[in-house]
Amino acid sequence: MTASAPLHLKVNGVPLERSVPPNRILLDLLREDLNLTGTKRGCDLGTCGCCTVLLDGVPTLSCLTLARLAEGAEVTTIEGLGEHGELTALQRAFVEHGATQCGFCTPGFLLAATALLRDHPTPSRQEIQEALSGNLCRCTGYVKILEAVEAACRTGLPAPSP
Amino acid sequence: MAKSASGPAVPPHPLAPASGKGYRLIGRRLPLVDAALKVTGRAEYTDDLKRPGLLVGRLLKSTQAHARIAGVDVSAARALPGVAAVLTGRRFPTPFGVLPMTHDETALAVEKVRHYGEWVAAVAAVDEETCEKALRRIEVRYEPLPVYDDPGVSERPVTEKIHARALRDTNIQKEVFQHFGDVPRAFQEAFAEVKVQGRFAGVNHGFTEPHCVLAEASPDGRLTVWSATQVPHYLLRALSEVLGLPLHRIRVIKPEVGGGFGGKSDPFPHEIACAALAVETGRPVKLLLDREDVFYVNHGRHPTRNLVRLAADEKGTFTALDVEALLDGGAFSSFGVVTTYYNGVLALGPYRLPSFRYHGVRAYTNHPPSGAMRAHGGTNIRYSLEMAVDALAERLGRDPVALRLQNLLPADTQTVNEFRITSNGAEACLLAARDRSRWRERFRQLPYGEGIGVACGFYISGSNSPIHFTPRFPQSTVHLKVDVDGGVTIHSGAADIGQGSKTLLAQVVAEVLGIRMDRTRVAAVDSDTAPVDLGSYSSRVTFMMGNAAKRAAEELREALAQAAGDILGEPPAGLVFEDERIHRDGSPEVGVDFLAAVHRAMEHRGALVASGSYESPPMGGTFKGAKAGTAPAYSFSAYVSQVKVDLETGFVDVKKVWAAFDCGRPLNPLAVEGQIEGSIHMGLGQLLSESMDYRGARLMNPSLLDYKILAPQQMPEVECLLVGGEDPEGPFGAKEAGEGPLIPVLPSVGAAVHDALGIRFLDLPLTPDKVFRALERARREGTARKPPLPGETREG
Amino acid sequence: MHLEPFELHQPATLDEALQVAASHPGDFDYLAGGTDLLPNYKMRLNPRGHVIALGGIPELHAFAPEAGTFGSLVTLRQIERDPVIARDYPGLSEAARQVATPLVRASGSLGGNLLVETRCFFFNQSASWREALGYCLKAEGDRCHVVPQKERCYATFSGDLAPSLLVLGAEVDLVSFQGPRTLALDDLYDPRGDGIRRTRLLPGELVVRVRVPPEGRKSRSTYRKLRVRPAFDFPELGVAALLSLEGQRVRSLRLAVGGLETYPRSFPTLTGPLEGTTLTDESIAELARRVQGMVRPVHNTFLAPDYRKRMTEVFVRRALADLRGAS
Ligand SMILES: Cc1cc2nc3c(=O)[nH]c(=O)nc-3n(C[C@H](O)[C@H](O)[C@H](O)COP(=O)(O)OP(=O)(O)OC[C@H]3O[C@@H](n4cnc5c(N)ncnc54)[C@H](O)[C@@H]3O)c2cc1C
Ligand code: SF4
Ligand code: FES
Ligand code: FES
Repeated sequence: MTASAPLHLKVNGVPLERSVPPNRILLDLLREDLNLTGTKRGCDLGTCGCCTVLLDGVPTLSCLTLARLAEGAEVTTIEGLGEHGELTALQRAFVEHGATQCGFCTPGFLLAATALLRDHPTPSRQEIQEALSGNLCRCTGYVKILEAVEAACRTGLPAPSP
Repeated sequence: MAKSASGPAVPPHPLAPASGKGYRLIGRRLPLVDAALKVTGRAEYTDDLKRPGLLVGRLLKSTQAHARIAGVDVSAARALPGVAAVLTGRRFPTPFGVLPMTHDETALAVEKVRHYGEWVAAVAAVDEETCEKALRRIEVRYEPLPVYDDPGVSERPVTEKIHARALRDTNIQKEVFQHFGDVPRAFQEAFAEVKVQGRFAGVNHGFTEPHCVLAEASPDGRLTVWSATQVPHYLLRALSEVLGLPLHRIRVIKPEVGGGFGGKSDPFPHEIACAALAVETGRPVKLLLDREDVFYVNHGRHPTRNLVRLAADEKGTFTALDVEALLDGGAFSSFGVVTTYYNGVLALGPYRLPSFRYHGVRAYTNHPPSGAMRAHGGTNIRYSLEMAVDALAERLGRDPVALRLQNLLPADTQTVNEFRITSNGAEACLLAARDRSRWRERFRQLPYGEGIGVACGFYISGSNSPIHFTPRFPQSTVHLKVDVDGGVTIHSGAADIGQGSKTLLAQVVAEVLGIRMDRTRVAAVDSDTAPVDLGSYSSRVTFMMGNAAKRAAEELREALAQAAGDILGEPPAGLVFEDERIHRDGSPEVGVDFLAAVHRAMEHRGALVASGSYESPPMGGTFKGAKAGTAPAYSFSAYVSQVKVDLETGFVDVKKVWAAFDCGRPLNPLAVEGQIEGSIHMGLGQLLSESMDYRGARLMNPSLLDYKILAPQQMPEVECLLVGGEDPEGPFGAKEAGEGPLIPVLPSVGAAVHDALGIRFLDLPLTPDKVFRALERARREGTARKPPLPGETREG
Repeated sequence: MHLEPFELHQPATLDEALQVAASHPGDFDYLAGGTDLLPNYKMRLNPRGHVIALGGIPELHAFAPEAGTFGSLVTLRQIERDPVIARDYPGLSEAARQVATPLVRASGSLGGNLLVETRCFFFNQSASWREALGYCLKAEGDRCHVVPQKERCYATFSGDLAPSLLVLGAEVDLVSFQGPRTLALDDLYDPRGDGIRRTRLLPGELVVRVRVPPEGRKSRSTYRKLRVRPAFDFPELGVAALLSLEGQRVRSLRLAVGGLETYPRSFPTLTGPLEGTTLTDESIAELARRVQGMVRPVHNTFLAPDYRKRMTEVFVRRALADLRGAS
């Protein structure tokens, strides 16, 4: 049906029910309907990674995901990292190592890196590069991003994420 | 009581700590003040903003490259339910542009369209779907005109001028002739001369945040515009001119900007069109460009052809430089006049060049407009020049580092075209890059297919010419305010586009006042409250805004020293500001808290305010174009790069870059490294794979899939060597580090590829198919081997 | 970029899916991970009125690497991370790892990869871009901008997994309204078709699973991909190779290429005669040259076609030299 239908999902731990039309993209649902604007739109075509969210823990491009197909899923956006206003080790490392300049790519990188460190607490530099290779950064040349991820591995794991 | 810092006339402040020592914040590796917002997704970019009753704006792209608009029928679009306004170019036809003398852009195309994707109509409607439907219902009748896709054709007589203002009967937008010394004679007398012909595809800034603008006309007659811009003040002027509103009725707010690199440093058609929709509807309208539009509005680096001839005497001393450049300006002027000059004059450092001749042409074509991009005007000429220097070294059997060292300008000198050179770390850069890279063991001695190359760079640290201001106002002004809470509010009009200017403001002010950075808060940029700053371009922010902030903080410090002196019964001149206290030098116990001093100073007066500004000293010659390229300081650099080329596939793998950079005193080495690393990434992109790929007038790759920005795996190891001394006029001795770092990476890699293969590539980008073809040719011709090792390299 | 409205169907069984398809002939698309379909829809490339999302059909998720059985909805991420696949079918593992980016691979499926839309510089563009030039055969138009004629589309098959599955001798289980059937993967693609009609699938026919025969395990396999960047980019050429030796002699040798023509292709007539022989540098080089001689890329991707053709020789040679070295 082209008509809206109810969608149930958990966003950053909070259960939600929304009426959503079939052609709604998850990125639009997050940004426009739920006001979670930390998820960025850089290209809308899967080519920049700015829109990355965790879908049931897996870093996923929200610009290429139909919202309705996230039925029953847990979505984690950048707003859902860290607890009680505390930064995760990874977020802290991004701050301290200068891994964010303009910051537009940052949420996407953080979500991709969070999933990486959850699955693989001590990745090699090459593994980090691979894992983050779907995220474009035009400011940093990636150097400080890689350093931040490595530093986060040393200082402790990110807060357990969904 | 504003003070103006102007070059060497300003004595060091009596309370300034001895140079190089005693700074608590200057020179430290500091995270950005807004980093916590950015890592939590809380930083607000324009597209994150919402207003009550917000409408969506969309633009109609031209499907013609060059055509007269015979008619636009918008009636069907207007009739669509949900559509609030449909505009065409005739509604606001006043031309605008970043430079006052070349206004040739309009909010929407008026009489004709000049490139594919130029915007012809604008729609505001309740949602995106309705906008798109409306756009499809607009009927434009075009009468096609001859299409110009080659600046080589555009510079000759044409049948249809793209703009009436083009020179003579051509499509030339700007032509520059300069001649200093006697170049023909120098070439006649030269012992050796080399000639290099470079060809460069256009490149785009590729910032991750697409342009976005939100405009709202309120019932009190004011217009507010939020935009992802590097130049809020220029935007404000353009809005005023086109919409016919007085400056003071317009407010421009710059939210967080997701990268600019020069691509947001013009006032843009979509910004004006969105504001026009807001005026027309009386409602807020937001307009977000899609990525394809970002490529069409472009204003990126010019597709360029240049010819560089360099002459030297028998000792290898350069005697003359002769440059020709032909720039594809695309459909509009943008910064083109400046670009045209820069493509010649930015070759005049770091080498001593007793004679120089330049002929530069920027021609209009029916490509998307070119404009300013990081290391504007300095990148392509530098590539060809450094390749020429390398070729000369080879011709003379000289070591390329030694030849460069021999020809460097000294500090405190003047170039042949009267650039004032003050601090100059070029030699320190070359030596550092040479030694760290173990140049002598590697140059010409790595196996065939591997190579190492060197190149120098040179860039302005803030354009001396304020674009709009005659008579001269300061180029940058910073205001400070402290009230009972003791927090220092810093008002600045300088645009932080991710490079960290807010952090720099906080750092400078906190340093001078001896307070913690978190006692400051930076209010940038809201034109209602921020003093005018010309914006973030030409690497001017650290130098100009930094100096203005320092002066403002020093003024505030004087007032606080007075107050603290009153409380303590101490002479103010003997007081030191540190650790949030003001105390007697050497005896911290004789002191007061910062807040107590603030409160004392506020008695019978209220909040403390201070203002500081920067105006560059007079400089440059009096000939035509003498101001182009003048700057209160210049950054210098020398990079060595190492590559490995796959001899069967032509893939170039850049292994390592030793990046020696003179930015004066690095105020925040963490941020400077970030600029260098980011510049290397961007420069390598232009060198290896990025190109605005035109077939005729058509852009084949307006997407981030086909416009190939390098992935993380392609980044080389980077070793940053910050070797500059202090600049006498920079804030705390600092100079720029935002653009200059891009310049040397391209030619140093180009030279490394030459060292690897014996082939000098002069046609960028170096895509693997090109390298492969050249290798094939070299193998056929039997020239596929290492160039000879100059004896001098090892003796060094 | 929003999507044009469509009706979304979420069948729970294959039958249901086929039913929906049958009731909207020519006006539906199946949706797996959507990483190919949705960008195309956003660019208004042949969007349909009905989207049939397959995710709710349990059997399509079947994942049994030990048995060599992979449901069509198995994701590329599952494939690249699976240790059994890495051990038994390294070429498949390598191919999966080289698709697009990790973020695309999280959603992108095996079935979607085998049926990924063919690509062309003149096709993968926005509606207004294509309108400006004039639409082409593959969407809304009646001519080709690559090879000027009105009959045939030359859009390039750009899936990475097909070549590596071809050399493994994979079969695909299909189901349509006419019932189930099994095809060799080689027969799924139609060499007599073009960039538009590139498979032998019947209308509404679904890929249920891919099966890899166990013999593949005894062989070494590899996949090499030509692309400008080590991430994001579709293949400008993909070479899959499989080799098993008996002593010094070749027991089986297979080669397949993608990214060059409208379909991925293997070269049994070239590789067959080498079985039973001993591979030498010369025989490898000769084979590589002959493969190069057979492929005909056109100019509709980023890198020049003559270069892609030349690289075919290099990549084939390197792939085989590697496999020989590793055995
Ligand atoms: C930025 C980017 C880069 C990419 N790079 C690559 C690359 O390098 N290599 C590569 O191979 N691909 C690449 N892709 C394309 C795509 O992501 C992959 O091919 C992916 O595997 C497609 O799977 P999917 O499940 O997302 O397919 P979908 O988009 O869901 O479907 C693709 C097509 O297959 C059909 N289909 C899907 N499943 C079935 C089924 N079971 N039965 C019948 N029909 C079916 C659909 O109807 C559709 O026509 C890229 C995509 C993007 C966005
Ligand atoms: S090959 Fe020709 S018909 Fe096919 S998509 Fe390209 S231009 Fe269109
Ligand atoms: S916005 Fe999703 S990848 Fe760019
Ligand atoms: S910090 Fe600007 S794009 Fe990454």
